[in-house]
Amino acid sequence: MAGDPALQAVPTRSAPRNEGPRRWSPQLWAAPPAAALALFFLYPLALVVRQSFQPDSGGTSVRPYADVFASQAFRHALWTTVWLAVASTAGCLVLGFLLALVISFVPFPGAKGVARFIDVYLSFPSFLITLALLFIYGTTGIIGSFQFLTTPWGVLLAEVTYFTPFVMRPLLAAFSQLDTAQLEAASSLGARAPRIVRRVILPEALPALAAGGSLVLVLCLNEFGIVLFTGAKGVTTLPMLVYGKAILESDYPGACVVAVVNVLISVGLYGLYRVVSRRAGA
Amino acid sequence: MWAVFLVLFLPLFALPLLVVLGASFATHWPGVLPAGLTTDNYRAATRGEALQALTTSLLTAAGASLLALVVGTWAALAGAALNRRYRRLMDALFVLPVAVPSVVVGLSVLVAFSQPPMLLNGTRWIVILAHTVLVTAFAHQSASAAIARLDPACEQAAASLGARPSYVLLRVRLPLLLPSLTAAAGLCFALSMGELSATMMLYPPDWTPLPVLIYAATDRGALFTGSAVAVVLMAATLLVLFAVSRVRTRASYR
Amino acid sequence: MSIRFDSVTVAYDGNVGSLALDALDLTVEPGEVMALLGPSGSGKTTALRAVAGFVRPVSGRVLLGGRDVTDLPPYRRGIGMVVQQYALFPHLRVDENVAFGLRARRTPRGEIRQRVAEALEMTGMAAYARRYPRELSGGQQQRVAIARALAIRPRVLLLDEPLSALDAQLRSGMLAELARLHRELPDVSMLYVTHDQVEALTLADRIAVMDKARLRACGTPRELYRAPTDAFTASFVGGANLLPVTVGPGGVSFAGAELKVETGDVVAGARATLCVRPHLVGLGAGPNQLVGVVREIQWRGATHRLYVEVDGHAVMADLRELRDPPAHGESVSLHFAAEDAVLLPAGVVGDGR
Repeated sequence: MAGDPALQAVPTRSAPRNEGPRRWSPQLWAAPPAAALALFFLYPLALVVRQSFQPDSGGTSVRPYADVFASQAFRHALWTTVWLAVASTAGCLVLGFLLALVISFVPFPGAKGVARFIDVYLSFPSFLITLALLFIYGTTGIIGSFQFLTTPWGVLLAEVTYFTPFVMRPLLAAFSQLDTAQLEAASSLGARAPRIVRRVILPEALPALAAGGSLVLVLCLNEFGIVLFTGAKGVTTLPMLVYGKAILESDYPGACVVAVVNVLISVGLYGLYRVVSRRAGA
Repeated sequence: MWAVFLVLFLPLFALPLLVVLGASFATHWPGVLPAGLTTDNYRAATRGEALQALTTSLLTAAGASLLALVVGTWAALAGAALNRRYRRLMDALFVLPVAVPSVVVGLSVLVAFSQPPMLLNGTRWIVILAHTVLVTAFAHQSASAAIARLDPACEQAAASLGARPSYVLLRVRLPLLLPSLTAAAGLCFALSMGELSATMMLYPPDWTPLPVLIYAATDRGALFTGSAVAVVLMAATLLVLFAVSRVRTRASYR
Repeated sequence: MSIRFDSVTVAYDGNVGSLALDALDLTVEPGEVMALLGPSGSGKTTALRAVAGFVRPVSGRVLLGGRDVTDLPPYRRGIGMVVQQYALFPHLRVDENVAFGLRARRTPRGEIRQRVAEALEMTGMAAYARRYPRELSGGQQQRVAIARALAIRPRVLLLDEPLSALDAQLRSGMLAELARLHRELPDVSMLYVTHDQVEALTLADRIAVMDKARLRACGTPRELYRAPTDAFTASFVGGANLLPVTVGPGGVSFAGAELKVETGDVVAGARATLCVRPHLVGLGAGPNQLVGVVREIQWRGATHRLYVEVDGHAVMADLRELRDPPAHGESVSLHFAAEDAVLLPAGVVGDGR
């Protein structure tokens, strides 16, 4: 065995320490994807910020900000965006919690199918919901000539419908970790269902609710398709305003200002979401 | 409880999809049920500009998800080798596109690539580029999670057997990651197929993906044709997801 | 091929304040089986990983066959390694697992086939070549892991608690297999990390006892068992009664009793520890007699273990199964032969229970 010519298990060449392929440092490996991201995502974002300080009249100033902040349309859009997002999130949390509760703790045969349905549902674009609502509530639809869809309430309904599964997913994961023995112990001690929910299930679900809720809040702030499809002139959110200013009015500095505001709100909230979900271990 | 479930879940989540499906076979919707059953909508939805939009969407989604998978996996693999501080920086960087509104991603790409030296505006590449940026974050997240689940003992066993890092990557890590990576690819594909916000800002006339076509149809009042196109979009997405999950079961069975 | 640790120091996360391994000096001779024995956290696995190249010493050198490998990456060290959780590649069949190392080294195809067959034959897994790891039992997976490590014909084999994931019955079988492998491969040096003294005593040519990142003792199993040099080694390699004694002329005194034992060059009047193995303690009157009260009796089938309280110290005695075991609280006499006791100069660590 010692004389085996193919014995390569032990490198017998006396290799000087730095000979052979020098190991690339990990930072060097991370550089290409980071550079790609910087070029195609961060650099364009930086240009947006720069353009937001460059009014069409030339020069560099905070004029675009002053103009946009002063406009009634922007303030209205900001308010609509925030309250729609908050209300949608609240709706999703309540509805998602109820549904996840039923799916997790009421034994029925289709539970696994429901989980799969949610996954498929989440892979569809959001505007399908508005499209469906056009038939249900729209002028030609089931409920008939009802201008419901062109109000913020229509957008709210669509957003709750579309984003609730985003809350259900972490909740279902959290509930599946919950020990049923714990529930049985609680009920054997004579606790009633509402009390069990409040004292045992809710505390366990809080981290998942917080994580799912803040994700939905960010997604609602950024939602575009649902609002676009309602065709409602009365409902303008920040993303709609960005689109309108840039594409319809060709007011790039204005669009960039709105974009900067929208990014600041969303990224700030998303940072919060990351912190919360990391603490929740989700 | 069952009643709550039936009352809330089905109408809320299943009904919208059924309504779109029903409308795609109808000419008008006078009451509770659609009327004027026909397949004309599909005839319109599978030819001409609709067919072209389908190809456009499929090509865009395939291109964007493949690019995103490569960049995201590379970033995740490189990030896993970094020390704690750099890794968190990398994670934060790559998750950022999720938080930034897609409309803003569209706007920023439009602003950046409308002028030389990188003049992409008006070409299909700007759409593919924006989709890639948007879905890379998801690819990176899936790949990172899968890499964190890898058993380091396997890689160390391979190294002790004399496999250099590139060989370990090719023969051990990537094969073990394959099921997660195909799942990530499926997710990216589906997201790209349904992307509307950034696309609305960027699409050139000769590169109109399905969601834009659906919007154009509903905007001019052709709701029933739009529904048929939407069903085609859903079906195409589901078919690809199904194919991907077949690959995945095969890969994880090994 | 020899393995040499030259004052190897390893710190956790490069933090010099907390050492995982403190200036280890140890040499494994070519063809020798060295067991690294110690409780968890004693640094034994760290030492093994330093040889494999998965941890980097902050100081010191690791030498294989006289060559400094401290700066070599793991894949250039040519070491076979078997770990507790097998770490088989789940996506490869058994024969592909075994062939992995050879393929990575670009060994010619025909030779790979022959060597894989050989390694599988040697570990008795030839019939399972086309299975996937998840289709095998734990013991079978460990055999494949061993075959995989042997296929590259390493001259150093590292085994990190290879049997601890197996149940007791399989373990003794695998222990015999490892001993056979060692006889069949007399050139291979093995470093065997374990916390199980039986594995170490059975398999090793020499045992290195580790505790708290340091090497406590190193010697043949016989030396360590018969003549331990410190209390930790005495209690960890086989059970031991460790009695606090005061050295007198020609013997020691313990709990008021004068015991005749070899005192060597320990000066009279010094405090010391007397080590007596439980199975060398007899019941009844005799030389070096101790009187105490029975606190606990455990029947272990072939033996009885008595815990006898002598002046506040528990003394263990393993006795051939007693026909009439003493009752709880009964006063009994124990004795041991002078040549069965070892005097340790250090103080007592614990009661040896």
